[in-house]
Amino acid sequence: MSPWWIVCKKELRETFRDRRTMTMMIVVPVLLYPVLLIVSEQVLLFGMRNLESDGAAVAVVGNAPPQLLRMLDAAEGLSVVDVDGPPEEAIHSDSVTAVALIGPVQRADGTRDVTLVFDAASDRSRRGRSQLAGVVAEWGDSLLVERLQDAELPLSLAHPVSVSDSSIARPAEVGGSTLGRILPLLLVVFTLLGAFYPAIDLAAGEKEHGTLETLLTAPVPSSAVVIGKFVTVALIGVVAAGLNLGSMILTFQTGILQFTGVSGLEVSIPFGSIVVIFLTLVPLAVFFGALFLGIAVRSSSFKEAQNVLTPVYMLVLIPAMLPVFSGMELGPFMALVPVAGVSFFFRDLMTGDATFVTGALVLGSTGLYAAGGLLFAARAFGNERVLFGSVDDADVDSTRGWVEKLRERSNGSGVPSPEQGLGFVAFVALLYFYGGFQLQYRFGEPGLLAAEWLLLLVPALLFVRVAGFSVRETLSLHGPSQRALLGALLLIAGATPMAWVIGWLQSFVLPIPWEILEGLEELVTAETTGRLLWLLLVLAVTPAICEEVVFRGVLLGATKKLEPWRFILLNGGVFGAFHLSFETAIRFLPTASLGIVIAWAVWRSGSIWIGMLMHALNNGSIVVLASSPSLREVFSDPEAPPPLWLIPLAAIALYSGVRVLNTSTNQSER
Amino acid sequence: MIRVDALTKCYGLLTAVDGLTCQVAPGEVYALLGPNGAGKTTALRCLATLLGPNSGSASVFGFDVVQDPIEARRQMAFLAVSMGLYERLTAREMVEYFGRLHGMGRDALGRRVDELVDLFGIGDFEDRLCGRLSTGQRQRVSLARALVHDPMALILDEPTLGLDVLSGEMIYDFITRERERGKAVLFSTHQMDEVELLADRVGVLRQGRLVAEGRPADLVAQTGAASLSLAFLELVREAPS
Repeated sequence: MSPWWIVCKKELRETFRDRRTMTMMIVVPVLLYPVLLIVSEQVLLFGMRNLESDGAAVAVVGNAPPQLLRMLDAAEGLSVVDVDGPPEEAIHSDSVTAVALIGPVQRADGTRDVTLVFDAASDRSRRGRSQLAGVVAEWGDSLLVERLQDAELPLSLAHPVSVSDSSIARPAEVGGSTLGRILPLLLVVFTLLGAFYPAIDLAAGEKEHGTLETLLTAPVPSSAVVIGKFVTVALIGVVAAGLNLGSMILTFQTGILQFTGVSGLEVSIPFGSIVVIFLTLVPLAVFFGALFLGIAVRSSSFKEAQNVLTPVYMLVLIPAMLPVFSGMELGPFMALVPVAGVSFFFRDLMTGDATFVTGALVLGSTGLYAAGGLLFAARAFGNERVLFGSVDDADVDSTRGWVEKLRERSNGSGVPSPEQGLGFVAFVALLYFYGGFQLQYRFGEPGLLAAEWLLLLVPALLFVRVAGFSVRETLSLHGPSQRALLGALLLIAGATPMAWVIGWLQSFVLPIPWEILEGLEELVTAETTGRLLWLLLVLAVTPAICEEVVFRGVLLGATKKLEPWRFILLNGGVFGAFHLSFETAIRFLPTASLGIVIAWAVWRSGSIWIGMLMHALNNGSIVVLASSPSLREVFSDPEAPPPLWLIPLAAIALYSGVRVLNTSTNQSER
Repeated sequence: MIRVDALTKCYGLLTAVDGLTCQVAPGEVYALLGPNGAGKTTALRCLATLLGPNSGSASVFGFDVVQDPIEARRQMAFLAVSMGLYERLTAREMVEYFGRLHGMGRDALGRRVDELVDLFGIGDFEDRLCGRLSTGQRQRVSLARALVHDPMALILDEPTLGLDVLSGEMIYDFITRERERGKAVLFSTHQMDEVELLADRVGVLRQGRLVAEGRPADLVAQTGAASLSLAFLELVREAPS
């Protein structure tokens, strides 16, 4: 027997003895689910019958013709009552559902005005109105018939066109499409729920009970342990989803449901589709199992894992819910989105729209994600810090308050931890989001200026000072060498056009919000020299100082201990995200890539002044370009490609900038 | 033979074990002494292949714990207080599970488990779920679990911690018996009576370093203390760095 299978068998045995998991897997789908469905349906049907059986009280106010009153009396489910006072009050007090106000005089052309008063917020009133409207229309028809007969005209004169519906969908398809919107979500949710608790139990639970240490003394490679556990979790996910699928289909097909009869839906999913759905659940369950295991094993207790996994669970639900909304289709792109692809594929299988190609894409990509998740989990299981380290660290930390910790760690020297740096940037971003936009909105350009200085620079300096970190180290306050300056100039001369090219390239994918761009252009365009200087202060110098201190100062200083490629990518990403707002998603990539280049330059040179210079030059060049009429012509259309001659020049500048900076003295290592 | 050679293990800036060297021969019982935080558990975990040493090496009956961890695990039984039992397995299933992981065949495993159940008096509760066992019962199951493959080296991290006198005595008996069977036994403790009762040799750890090593009587003589407890106090208190 291979070790992973021994592990898997044991885990299954333990899981079957676990009441919580069993409840989630068997009791919920097999029992509770159909019961819930039937109950909710009965409630719905009961409500419908209630509405139907109650005769809707209606009233006619004004000069009611006897013919109409006769028709109302004859109508089923309607009772005519008298209304005293204004009809609105009568409807509000529920003494009548709808009132027809009959106009007092016939108009010159022989048309009579009828107003139906009702309460659109009430089901009963809406129902009363539609019944009343039916009778009034009937009355109108009878008048029409009389008139045609009087004029000795054929009845068909009033019906030049006759429209009737003929849907090409078979009843099964209609049922499939209704069900197809909800069922995929439920299947994904039950697969998730099935894998959720076992993953926590098999990973964090082992750590909490100290059994992981026991297990790792057994002479089996940790990969066998991961595989055994992961097969268990995936298997439980598949079984949970399979049971749910079976139970749903049985519930719908036993015919006990009057609802399907009432609404004219016929729900039957072809057997072949059921098999394919089940097969697709396997890689999905594998993906969830691996993802959850990999995350859960990083927690030291059941509770902690639950806290960490719940947001993951929510996040996974979003793509799973997409097919519920109409108008979304499964294309090649959607097929590659994790979870969403599977969810859409289920829907298409139920409506009979699934194609082989998208199915293969969905299966293939989900398989890849599953493999990635498995690698992620395996890495955690092979890492002693993940397995044993966290417990000891947590013990030491939890006894102290965070201010104490902050002070103790920094102690006048040193830099913030990555968590502290990221936490600070998140805090500043919130501050800017709530305060900065307000300032900008109320005071315009001076407000923007104030927001940068007060909400970015001041908090950053306070954070470093109050927590007692080394200002010099954290903010990279070293003078740049001449070589580094040269490198920075070359680099930004290449990076600014590069950001432009990136912006242009992504305009093929992302739509450009024109109104906002025009507003931006107005903002950066100066007519006089005084205005130009002011704009340079607001848009180039200020952000260069304030934003650099936050991003290439605090954030870079706090994350420098990570691997270089990580903290530089992180820096660019955070910088780009900071410049996001609801309308300006297009700014992310260009800004992030600029952030990456500047972060790299500051790290290599050890000098934040380099970053400020590059930032100021980049922003300043845009202001100058926009303000010079001759240049603006060339550069103002974001959909027009950048001039071709610019690209090789930019590439050369970038390359030589990198070379020069790479060979210059690295201050941070000195 | 258990060999530890210049073993060093760091957690970040903290050096938990600093150049530890020691050997335990077959038929010998070696006690690793030291106050809390001296590095005993870390050293034993490195030996048990649970942690990777930063430098130095260790081997168990010729199998290096870093180069060949799987084979090294086959050679030893490792037992620590922090090691739990699976709550939803019965005592017997727990022992059998580890036997299977050691690759034991059905018949050999069945015989061995019967033997261990007898040896540690597990019979009364062998079919009870581990989650419902008392501390003493759990320790018996843990011992049986660790020994299911009958290895030549025994590494026990504070084996009597939290046990009552009876269970403690069972462990003493067991260690003595295993020594007679030619096993190499390495255990950690801070209870002096255990050391006097069982250990052939003692190593004293202070802040990750081995500050003294020898027979219990040698240590007493070396420090000039009246008893082993006092000698130990002397050794771990000396020269705070």
